[in-house]
Amino acid sequence: MNPRERLLHTIEKAEIDRPACICPGGMMNMITAELMESCGVSLPAAHSDARMMADLAKAAYTSGCFENVGVPFCMTVEAEAMGAKVTMGSNIVEPHVSEYVINTVSDHTKLPCVDHTAGRAGITVEAIRLLREELREVPIVGNLTGPVSTASSLIEPTVFFKELRKKNADAHAFMAFVTDQLIAFGLAQIEAGADVIAISDPSGTGEILGPRYFEEFTVQYLNRLIAPLKAAGAKVIVHICGQMRQVYPQANKIESDVLSFDSIVPIREARPALPDRVLMGNISTYTLEFGEPEKIAVMTNFAADNGFDIISPACGLGMRSPLGNIRAMLETLKERG
Amino acid sequence: MEKEKLFAAIAENIVEMEDETVEELCQQALDEGIDAAETINEGLIPGMDKVGDLYESGEYFLPEVLTASYAMNVGIDVLKPHIKQEENGEKIGVVIGVVEGDTHDIGKNLVRIMSESGGFEVWDLGRDVPLDDFITTAEEKNADFICMSTLMTTTMGGMKTVIEKLKEKGIRDKYKVMIGGGPISQKFADEIGADAYTTDAASAVKKMKELKGAK
Repeated sequence: MNPRERLLHTIEKAEIDRPACICPGGMMNMITAELMESCGVSLPAAHSDARMMADLAKAAYTSGCFENVGVPFCMTVEAEAMGAKVTMGSNIVEPHVSEYVINTVSDHTKLPCVDHTAGRAGITVEAIRLLREELREVPIVGNLTGPVSTASSLIEPTVFFKELRKKNADAHAFMAFVTDQLIAFGLAQIEAGADVIAISDPSGTGEILGPRYFEEFTVQYLNRLIAPLKAAGAKVIVHICGQMRQVYPQANKIESDVLSFDSIVPIREARPALPDRVLMGNISTYTLEFGEPEKIAVMTNFAADNGFDIISPACGLGMRSPLGNIRAMLETLKERG
Repeated sequence: MEKEKLFAAIAENIVEMEDETVEELCQQALDEGIDAAETINEGLIPGMDKVGDLYESGEYFLPEVLTASYAMNVGIDVLKPHIKQEENGEKIGVVIGVVEGDTHDIGKNLVRIMSESGGFEVWDLGRDVPLDDFITTAEEKNADFICMSTLMTTTMGGMKTVIEKLKEKGIRDKYKVMIGGGPISQKFADEIGADAYTTDAASAVKKMKELKGAK
């Protein structure tokens, strides 16, 4: 069974030989210092060059860490394409938004549409095209920043969260615009060859918004984004950060193929709360950086035994995580095989 | 309106996030000759305390807290010009910021808002803060706490660096270091030798009061 079949079978609930080990990219970073050294491609240059982006993504697969490739390596591509100023970071610091575009949700009509043929959106699509040409048996994950997180990269988040309430209708119009941009970018990634689209929405968690706004904004716009991506033939993973305890019923309304959780979410709580969902997670990012391979093997087995269908680092990887620790996840799964 | 009833109405409207009513009531307090500082201490701050309680008990979330704190600030803007300058008592001083490499500052802003409404003096360095700035500002302002936040796993290491720099300078014991943010845990706090970690803004303020009392 090749890695692409294994992941797609898992998502379709077909027969598999063992759980897959993947790390999508995007918010869920899979690049480390050792990985960059091993392939001679480094950040931040690879954020802005399709060939380098593809090669660095490949290294996470060829080095025996993960059974997928994924791009881009940050959460700023979409916001930048809509006018936000982005600082590109360094080899160990991710790109981040340094200047917002609008001061109130009512100004959303001033935002430009995302051009997925230009800028880093175009580079991401091109990197996917290169990866598809070169890798037939490995699943390609294209990443999108979730609607709430993208929106709160275009406007100061405290203003945004206040206006969800105070300017509710304008906030919805803003979210609809942002979501339409994400749909177009996601469809371009699928057209270029992405098998899976992973959406991370760290600013739209139930913990931040509370159950009511989580459903009114996060869930509604995620679903609006997910439907056309699925219709275009891709599988969709949604990663939600933070505690889920208060929002399981709402999370179950998210129409993605896979739900992925943070390490703070115990599988023994999530599995009974979401009995029919394909779940991905959630080996502690902290342990992957600072722990020992033996401990990671124990955690991997526990996650697989208790109901995670796909094993992945809970919130991506810290840049200094040792390769030996990362490989311990996949090695453990292969031994179960 | 009786003074106590007016204060209760102001507090109630903070909790209900009605900034326009808060503005009117604060103006009314001024018109009735009520001391502006008293209106803040007996009306606005108890209202925000109640918001903190509702947040802690899981009834209010970030959008409610932000909207309520906006209402409080509207009230403070009305009252502030009328406050008689007086000696401030010993305030708890807090230097706060999001560590270098990260611009996610929702949690940090919430801690700042709650600290300010708890009567602390707060120096907010903003986001993407160069690590040395935490230390130089704390030294300059003679702060009690250095609070650092990050939402990204890739920038967690900066917190450790700040603590190490404090040690190198021989001033580690002058400050309590508190950390927080999505990927942070008590375990990480212990590992890097931070004095405190809390999961939310309301308990962060309680923790600081507790630690300051113990100092």
